[in-house]
Amino acid sequence: MDFWVTIIVMGLSFSVLLFMLSSGLSLIFGLMNVLNLTHGGYYLIGSFVGISIYKWTGNFLLAILAGGAVAGIIGVGMERGFLRYLPGQLLDQVILTMGFLFIFTNLAKWIWGPIPQMATPPSLVAGSLRIGAYSVYLYHLVVIFAGLIIAIVLWFFQEKTRYGAIIRAGIDNREMIMAIGINFNQVCAWVFFLGTVIAGITGVIGLPLLGAYLESGSEILLYAIIVVIIGGLGSMQGALAGSFLIGIIHSFSKAFFPALAFFMMYLIVIIILLVRPSGLFGKRS
Amino acid sequence: MKSLELLFHKNRVSLGPYVGVGLILILLPLFLSPYLLYLAAKILIFAIFAMGLNLILGYTGLVSMGHAAFFGTAVYVGAFLTVHSGIENFWLVALLGVLAAVLMAALFGLFIVHLSGAYFLLITLGLSQLLFSIAWKWRALTGGDDGLPGIPRPDLGLPLPMGDDTYFYYFVFLIFVGCFFLLYRLTDSPFGHALVGIRENESRMKILGYNPWRYKYVSFIIGGGFGGVAGVLYAYLIGIAYPGDIGLMASVMVLFMVILGSPGTLACPLIGATLLTTMEYVVSIFTPERWPLILGAVFVLIAMYFRGGIGIYLIRYWRKLDLGHGSPKS
Repeated sequence: MDFWVTIIVMGLSFSVLLFMLSSGLSLIFGLMNVLNLTHGGYYLIGSFVGISIYKWTGNFLLAILAGGAVAGIIGVGMERGFLRYLPGQLLDQVILTMGFLFIFTNLAKWIWGPIPQMATPPSLVAGSLRIGAYSVYLYHLVVIFAGLIIAIVLWFFQEKTRYGAIIRAGIDNREMIMAIGINFNQVCAWVFFLGTVIAGITGVIGLPLLGAYLESGSEILLYAIIVVIIGGLGSMQGALAGSFLIGIIHSFSKAFFPALAFFMMYLIVIIILLVRPSGLFGKRS
Repeated sequence: MKSLELLFHKNRVSLGPYVGVGLILILLPLFLSPYLLYLAAKILIFAIFAMGLNLILGYTGLVSMGHAAFFGTAVYVGAFLTVHSGIENFWLVALLGVLAAVLMAALFGLFIVHLSGAYFLLITLGLSQLLFSIAWKWRALTGGDDGLPGIPRPDLGLPLPMGDDTYFYYFVFLIFVGCFFLLYRLTDSPFGHALVGIRENESRMKILGYNPWRYKYVSFIIGGGFGGVAGVLYAYLIGIAYPGDIGLMASVMVLFMVILGSPGTLACPLIGATLLTTMEYVVSIFTPERWPLILGAVFVLIAMYFRGGIGIYLIRYWRKLDLGHGSPKS
């Protein structure tokens, strides 16, 4: 029984990371029509900046702040300086964002070296916890809990606040919100900032689970892409459902048939595509 | 000569540039060291690979980020047949390798050809990663990340020593010419023009009575077939099948070759493959560690300042070459 609980808890904590990343990817696509393949790069930046700060100060919260801030600043720079000149041009966006992913990965190799770094959870949430007969790592539970809070905050932000309403309106009809006097450009910059900050924070939160390593940028991007394909581009609910599904499947297949872990996920993708070509929550084209 | 020009369709295209580039490629072995000749063969193979994507992306307008799936399938089938089954006959291996790539494209096409834009891109990427995960994890069959080494140079059943780099280069060159001519006739046919029509305005083509899905599907399969031809040759060139040949990086590289060469032009694949492979070679002499950084910066430059790719600039600059024949994506 212990085994099952561990698998589920590990799967769910991975789901949280995936949700944080893919919700940003999805939101940016929904609002700005930009396919941001650099998103994994912000995760990478967050994780390396985070681990440096964490090792230097020993303060995990500070590491989260620093990772998020650095990723967000670089992200908004990329949006203002480059991406905003390529609205709706898929091919150029793909090349540009792929190029930045290469650049960030290689710069990280230059700065931090090729050796992967691991981090232990902060002492406050280290160790394991016994609930009844089961024992689980406390940090996994904290991540799941944090993920729940983030999901609720994001939901509240999008559904109940004025800014969320602007974003939703922008996804539906950008000309309309420009016509009523909202600076769409500014909205885009803020959403991009928000998305990349969250990606950076994800990198730091993921440190005790996955560590910091150079391939993480493209690896986690591929996971996020699977999530987005399953959930549907531009949908938060889709990102949530997709992350949940992929996190659990990933954890189970890793435990029972590790060689087929990736294969299983893509198999699910194909099955879902057969049933619903635009993803679980995607708009039908 | 007249009949040859007729072959090249209605006298519209002067033969000059083709003969010129062809002559350069024929004379290359006289000047190049064995390693550079190996690179030249690699360029021609990647050009064939890029021809397939050029048909799908440049002419049909579908942005695929998983074209290495078909290339890699052929590489691995070539490796299985030569290493595991010990088949020596090149033509049998080539036939089965290309057939496998075509079947793979036909299978994938069923799932994705009705999609467009970002979805098409993401799902081609996902499906190619599916194959990558098999190549990476199924160690007993593929050798995993060690790859599958030991592919010999091809035996054509002719008294030609293919182990000799020069002979192998000329063999690749002949296949390249064949593929180029095939693509040339294909894109200049009613079928090719219909593809461009679908790229530019799909609903109008539908109203005109075309079935866009069928055209896109066939184009996708042919594109996969070109990838298969390139894959078989590549397996024989480097002698090892490696998961990287089927992975994201290979797909991104061929996509970038096509973009660099200006999608939708006939000269695109050769220009793109030449530029990128040469660039990689030059950078690897000076600073191999920084190649991804430089490559990324070139990606950014192209996306920001050379939207249509370098190819159209070259073509405009050297107008007389008349390589502009084709339908560049605006």
